Amino acid sequence: MTVILHAIREVQIPLLAAMLLGACAAKLAQVLKAGKLSSAFGPTALFPANIRRPVAFGICVVEAALGLGLILTAGGTGGKVPAMAFRAGSCLFFIVATCALIELRASRPDVGCGCFGELSTSPVNFRTIARSALFAVAALVTITLGPIGRPPVKASAIAELLGILAAELLVIGALSPEIGEGLIRLGYSEPCELQIVPSGRTLAALHRSRQWRRHSRLITSAVPADIWRELCWRYVVYPASYDNRAADLVFAIFLKHRRPAIRAALVDAATGQPLPWPSTTTRRRLRRSAPAPLARLTEGLAASPATPVRADLPISTDV
Amino acid sequence: MPGVQATFACCDRCAHLGTDRPPALAGTGSAPTVARRRLLKAAVSRRIADDQTPPTAADADSEPTVMVSASSATASTPTSPAARRANTAPAGFADVAQQPRTVWGTVYDVSPHVLVIGDVGREQRFILTPDAVAWRGHQLEPAALGHGDNVVIRLHPGHRDVADRIWANIGRVTGVITERSGGTLTVDEGATRGPQVITLHPSAVGRIQVRFPTLEPGYLVDIIGLREGEELIGMIPATSQPGYPADSLPAAPLVSGRVPGTISGSAIWHEPRGEPPGVLGVDYPALDPETGCAEDAASGVREGFARLPYLAIGSVISMRNECTGLDCLVPVTGCASIARLFNDRCVTCGTSPRGRIADLTLASFVSLGGELERGCFNVTFTIGG
Repeated sequence: MTVILHAIREVQIPLLAAMLLGACAAKLAQVLKAGKLSSAFGPTALFPANIRRPVAFGICVVEAALGLGLILTAGGTGGKVPAMAFRAGSCLFFIVATCALIELRASRPDVGCGCFGELSTSPVNFRTIARSALFAVAALVTITLGPIGRPPVKASAIAELLGILAAELLVIGALSPEIGEGLIRLGYSEPCELQIVPSGRTLAALHRSRQWRRHSRLITSAVPADIWRELCWRYVVYPASYDNRAADLVFAIFLKHRRPAIRAALVDAATGQPLPWPSTTTRRRLRRSAPAPLARLTEGLAASPATPVRADLPISTDV
Repeated sequence: MPGVQATFACCDRCAHLGTDRPPALAGTGSAPTVARRRLLKAAVSRRIADDQTPPTAADADSEPTVMVSASSATASTPTSPAARRANTAPAGFADVAQQPRTVWGTVYDVSPHVLVIGDVGREQRFILTPDAVAWRGHQLEPAALGHGDNVVIRLHPGHRDVADRIWANIGRVTGVITERSGGTLTVDEGATRGPQVITLHPSAVGRIQVRFPTLEPGYLVDIIGLREGEELIGMIPATSQPGYPADSLPAAPLVSGRVPGTISGSAIWHEPRGEPPGVLGVDYPALDPETGCAEDAASGVREGFARLPYLAIGSVISMRNECTGLDCLVPVTGCASIARLFNDRCVTCGTSPRGRIADLTLASFVSLGGELERGCFNVTFTIGG
């Protein structure tokens, strides 16, 4: 029994360190993604608005320091005092966090705990508070623990350690609302209408395309005259020349990473009327695909074979 | 072979900012650009109906306009869902014979039965019926309007010489508080609009503070009032203040699968600062970030609370006022960088989903049957109409 209790105490050190470093990493990921550390969530909401961000950064730094300290002093490096200091510090940190979460739940019930960055947006509840209290207890039982050695190379000992670890992870998982949020995000794919797609990528895809090779000789300027996006399509307009008349060569590129559907049309610059493709282009097109609808060619339209057929199509605007 | 570099368009209010954009591209939100993009998009789209009249260059030079559906133009009260479904007449742009229902001007003279406004050197007379109502900080008789008042008049449906509703000197400031000094607020409305000053009217302070409890720098504010030169006399809170500072917008809910074809939310209006009066259009909260709008960069928030599909200047949206049943096609004419910071609801008729999805020009808002002093209406829109 004593051996099991000792093993349980030993497991707490790497677990606590992993949680602290994971929380810090999640906040840093938020900084990298949004360009700033949000002060909207967590106990920082209890502070005046002007010091919330420094407080949020302070929490992140303390988490990193405690997590690294727990790992570095776990084996007895630096003596007994630093190890006890980091473990006591962790215990104090989680006690303060528990109290702050209780206060936060009372004063701002709509705010998430912010423990793991943007994954912790759901309002603070009993599970969140219990998890923080559990970590405080876990840190408390490690304060007087001696240096942690390598586990004995025995199947039973390793199985015992893994069993303890798994059981505790299950408890932590049950107390963590972030698990559900994380699973949702793992399986989440943003619709193309909401994805930010750089124009450079679209132009690169266009310049690799067959439509570009077929029509680019009509273009008179290297720089697009206009470029804009609607839903899943980006439109690129190049000044062009057709029978010594000014024209616009319009490409519609579907915002897909690989082999996007691309359409092209030639439009008279003065009248805005669609123009037929030049005869050489038309002849080449007819040779490649004999049943091509001539009516469409006369309207100046050309379509990529890979064009989606559903509502992804550009929407006519009934001019 | 042409190179890959591209120049990016800018939004309609960028021209005066002194940016390093090519002059030819500054101000691409102008009407010709909007119409030109529609032409080019229609040309490249396979969904051009064969029976449609081909667009002409003359269309490209005309001002984009909206047409209120004739079948629903007489509706003035909230309609039932069944009635809305029954009203299947498609919305569209106005033809030449149809004009918007909104008129602007300065009051030249007023009597109990006739209102005379002088607009750009010409006078216009409007009959005042007993039902006509005016607003100048509060409801009043139209005859109480004074010489020199700047008025927005909504015309009676079907009678273009009859005034239905009049708003005098109305103004609105929506933005982030940057400074507070007693009852005076300085508000940032974005990079393309200068700082705005709101002075809270003493009689409205209590009412405003109930809805805006944190009138401190960094928080959002949206107040309707009386315009006195560069200053707005704050009279009415246009919404309830979001509880977060402007730089701490809550994360938007995830959108799975395809973006729905119709999107509901709140539609608001803005004063025509920097825009020609009478422009019919909408500032959209989700312009393509690659567009490089000055307004877009100003807010510092790239994604609003309402996740909307990315569009561009010139895109066309079919707007439907769920409170009146009126609908029309409206072109996107600008970026609503401040509107995206709000996650409020409109409760003009029922409760809308959270998020502002359209910041209409004053003319569009009135044409769709919106009441300016209410600040918003529940809207449903469809991209492309």
